Amino acid sequence: MTEDRLIELIEAWGADPSAYPEADRAAARALLAAHPQRFADALAEARVLDAALARMPEILPSTTLTDALVASAPKPRRAAGGFGLPKFAPWAPASGFAALAAGLFMGVMVAPAASAASETEEVERVLEHALGFDPAAFAEELG
Amino acid sequence: MAFTSDLDQITRAAAGDPAAVRALVNRYSPGVLGLATRMLADRAEAEDVTQETFLRAWKALPGWEPRAKFSTWLHRVALNLCYDRLRKRKESLPGALPDQADTRLAPHEALDQAQRVSAIEGAITALPERQSAALTLCALQGHSQAEAAEILEISVEALESLLARARRTLRAQLLEGRTSA
Repeated sequence: MTEDRLIELIEAWGADPSAYPEADRAAARALLAAHPQRFADALAEARVLDAALARMPEILPSTTLTDALVASAPKPRRAAGGFGLPKFAPWAPASGFAALAAGLFMGVMVAPAASAASETEEVERVLEHALGFDPAAFAEELG
Repeated sequence: MAFTSDLDQITRAAAGDPAAVRALVNRYSPGVLGLATRMLADRAEAEDVTQETFLRAWKALPGWEPRAKFSTWLHRVALNLCYDRLRKRKESLPGALPDQADTRLAPHEALDQAQRVSAIEGAITALPERQSAALTLCALQGHSQAEAAEILEISVEALESLLARARRTLRAQLLEGRTSA
């Protein structure tokens, strides 16, 4: 820490070494303690400004501004008439896959029965027999 | 309800939690408004900047990633909005700069507290904009050196240089006022 560097610190950060960059703080304190008179004028000038700045009041928002800021914020996310669930629930894609899987399963189970021609013919024969329908006589009538 | 971190508040505010929204507003609006007021020297414009800053914050919250402190991000947005307004002011006066206000501080002893505060406010506002911002962030709002440098998007060394020039100007005016008393 040189004397010039300490003057720079006082000019930039003020009279209180605790405001100095951490890397310079200890060395600045040591130099100030070793030569208090050498930096007295610089410190005195800095203290005048430090005191003036410390008197500056905080600028606070009015209630009107605060309320306007709050009112402009996002509103709670709730489905209309729902149960407070997010609009895009994280499980929504999973339910889609479940529905798809169920559909495929049902298709696989039903398709073989529906496409069994032999079973269909058997059903027709049973119905014809029950209704007294004779396919051979019907063929003769058609010629 | 107590919140333990900015991120917690941000997450809740993004979901529209009224308590978290109000907590963010209460915590950060004084700093944003203070910075804008000292940069623009116009309360109404500063309030507009504060509202615009928070509107941008609300839009940013759902995708917020804590790469930077929320406070740093918020003040940087406010500062950039102030720079935009100051630039537009200059553009609206082509070929002619506004009359330079007399920013010399009147004799210290002759001023009451309100006048002294007003005189220093005027002197800070009359500083070059980056010096004014640096002084406001560090000396008046107590931001850390690293945070102030990040808000201003400069190094800590450059921040120190801005502060030294700002304080030198103000100190000269203060001392001039005292010696001429």
